[in-house]
Amino acid sequence: MNRSTLRAYLRVVATVFLLHLKMQAVDLFVVFTVLIQPLLIALLAIYIQRDKAPDIAIYLIVGSGMTGLWSGLLFTSSFAIRGERWYGTLEMLVGTPTPLGVVMIGKVLASVLLSLSSMVVGYLMAAALFRFTLYIMDLPGFLISLALTLLAFVTFGLVIAPFFALSPAVEGWVNALEFPVYVLGGFLFPILMLPGWSTPLSYMLSPYWAAQALHATSSGSGSVYPNFPVALDWAMLLLFSAIYIFLSGRLFGMVLRRAKIDATLGLQ
Amino acid sequence: MNAIEIRNLRRVYRATIGTLRRHIREVVALDGISLEVRPGELFGLLGPNGAGKTTTVKILTTLLIPTGGQASILGFDVVGQADRVRPRIGFIFGGERGLYWRLSACDNLRYFADLYHMDPDRSRRRIDELLELVGLLGREDEKVEGYSRGMRQRLHVARALLHDPEVLFLDEPTMGLDPVGARELRQVIRDLKGQGKTIFLTTHYMFEADALCDRIAVINHGRIVALDTPERLKGYVRDLRVIELEVFGIAPPVIDQVRALPTVDAVSVEDFEQKQILLVQSPQGSELIPEILRLLDTARVGKVVVREPTLEDAYVRLVGGDRGLAQVD
Repeated sequence: MNRSTLRAYLRVVATVFLLHLKMQAVDLFVVFTVLIQPLLIALLAIYIQRDKAPDIAIYLIVGSGMTGLWSGLLFTSSFAIRGERWYGTLEMLVGTPTPLGVVMIGKVLASVLLSLSSMVVGYLMAAALFRFTLYIMDLPGFLISLALTLLAFVTFGLVIAPFFALSPAVEGWVNALEFPVYVLGGFLFPILMLPGWSTPLSYMLSPYWAAQALHATSSGSGSVYPNFPVALDWAMLLLFSAIYIFLSGRLFGMVLRRAKIDATLGLQ
Repeated sequence: MNAIEIRNLRRVYRATIGTLRRHIREVVALDGISLEVRPGELFGLLGPNGAGKTTTVKILTTLLIPTGGQASILGFDVVGQADRVRPRIGFIFGGERGLYWRLSACDNLRYFADLYHMDPDRSRRRIDELLELVGLLGREDEKVEGYSRGMRQRLHVARALLHDPEVLFLDEPTMGLDPVGARELRQVIRDLKGQGKTIFLTTHYMFEADALCDRIAVINHGRIVALDTPERLKGYVRDLRVIELEVFGIAPPVIDQVRALPTVDAVSVEDFEQKQILLVQSPQGSELIPEILRLLDTARVGKVVVREPTLEDAYVRLVGGDRGLAQVD
C-alpha cells in the first residue's frame, strides 16, 4: 500500500468515525445500551453491595462501564454490516475503491469510544450522587489498560461485524451473547465465584483480560500476579488483538465473496 | 477498445426450498449474453421485470460474481480486476435506498468522496458543481429523510458522478419518479452523454430508451433477443399495424381468443384505473377490427384507433407480447 492510499484510508476512517458518531449519538437504542443500561447496572450493584459500596465504588463503576462497553460493541458491531445491507448502502460501499474493512474500522472505533461514555457517566454519578471518593490506584497503568482494552475491543468488533453478516442463522445469537460475557468476563464480580469449569471460557474472552487489567489498575483487585499485576493481562490483550486482526481480514474476504456469489449484498 | 465488453455471460441463482426435505432450485437469470458498448455511447438494456437487466448491471459493477463467461470495463475484468474497475465507474440503482437518511446531502456526498479517495479540495468544488447540476443547491444541509423521492434520486446521480467516472450504470433511474422529476433526470442523462460519458441504461420505459439511447439491446428470459438502434428496432414491426382498443373490463380468456386469431402477431394489455388498452399487432390493420369486436361483445368498448408501430410495439413483439404493461409514465 502506498502513502497516498494510506492517507486516503485514514481520511475514510476519520470521516466514517465522525459521521457514525453523529448518527449513533441520536440513536435511542444506542443511548440506552451505552448509557442508561450501564447506569442501571451500576445503581443495582451499588444497592446490592451497599455496605461495602464506598470502598469498592471504583470497582463497580469500572465493572458497569465494562458492561456498557461490551453491549455497545456487541450490538453496534454485529449490526455494522447488516445495517448497511438493511439501508441499501452496502452495495454502494462495496462498489467503491475503499475496502469494506476500512469503513468498518471507523464505525467500530466510533462505537467503542461512544461506549466508553458509560464508564465516564458512571464515574460522575457515583461521585455526584453518592458522594463516593473515587480514586484510581495506578492512573498511568489504568490509562495503558484502557488503551489496550480499546484496541482489543475495536479489533474484536472487526471480527464480530463480518461474522454476523455471514449468515442470517447466526444473527439470533447476538442477544444471547450479551449477559454471559458480563458474568464470564468478571465485570462486576471475580470469576473465582463461578464454578471451575467456566474459568477456561473466561480465559478465551478478551473482555475478561480487559476487565482484569482495568480492575487491577483502578482498585487493585482482580490480579493474581502481585509483582506484575497487569503484565499478563496486557500481553493477553495484545495477543487477542493480533488474532482478531488476522481473523478479521479472512472473514471480510469470505463475507464479500459469499455475498457476491449468493447475491445478498443488496438484500434487506 | 470498447468501454464495456460482455462475452457469454451467465448467471444462475440457487434457492433452497423446503424445511425438512430441502432441495435446491436453480433459476437462470442470464443465459450466455454477449454485447459491446463503445466509448461515449448511451446504450440501453430493455426488458421486462426479471429479464436479467439488474443482474447484468450488478455483475458489471463488480457486485455480483457471474456463474460463467466474462465481462470487462475499459479492458479490466470485472471479477479479477475489480479494484481497477471501481474507480472508473459510477452506478445508480432505482429506488430510494442506498443513502444515509439521517445525514444531510452534503454529508452523504463528502462521505462518498472520501470513499472514492478524492482530494478534499477537489471534492468540495465537485460537490458544489454537482449539487447545482442536480438542482439540490440550497437544500444540501437538510437531512435526506426529509427529501422527496425525486430529490433522493437526484442525490444518487450526484453521488455516482462525484469521482467523474468514465462509465456510468443507470439501473432504472427514473423508476417511481413523477413525470416532471423523470423528465429532469432524463435531461441530466442527455447532458452526461454530451460530456462524453459512456452510459449503460436499463429501463422498461420504451419511450425513455427511444429518446435517449444510441443502441438498445432487448433482453428476455436472460437472453438478448435483439440489439440495434431504436430506428432499426422499429423496423422489426414495420410490416405490422397496431390496433388500439379502449375496453372496460376485459376477461383474460377473451385476450387469449384475440391472440389466437390467425393474423394476429402479438397482443398486450395496458391497465389503467378503470379501463384497459388492448394493443393488437397484425399485418391486417383495420380489416381485423370487426373480428376483434365480435370477440369483445361482452366488454364495453370505447375508442378504436389503428396506428403505425412504435418502439414499444417492436419490444412487445420481441418479448412475446404476453405482458400487461401496467406502468405507464
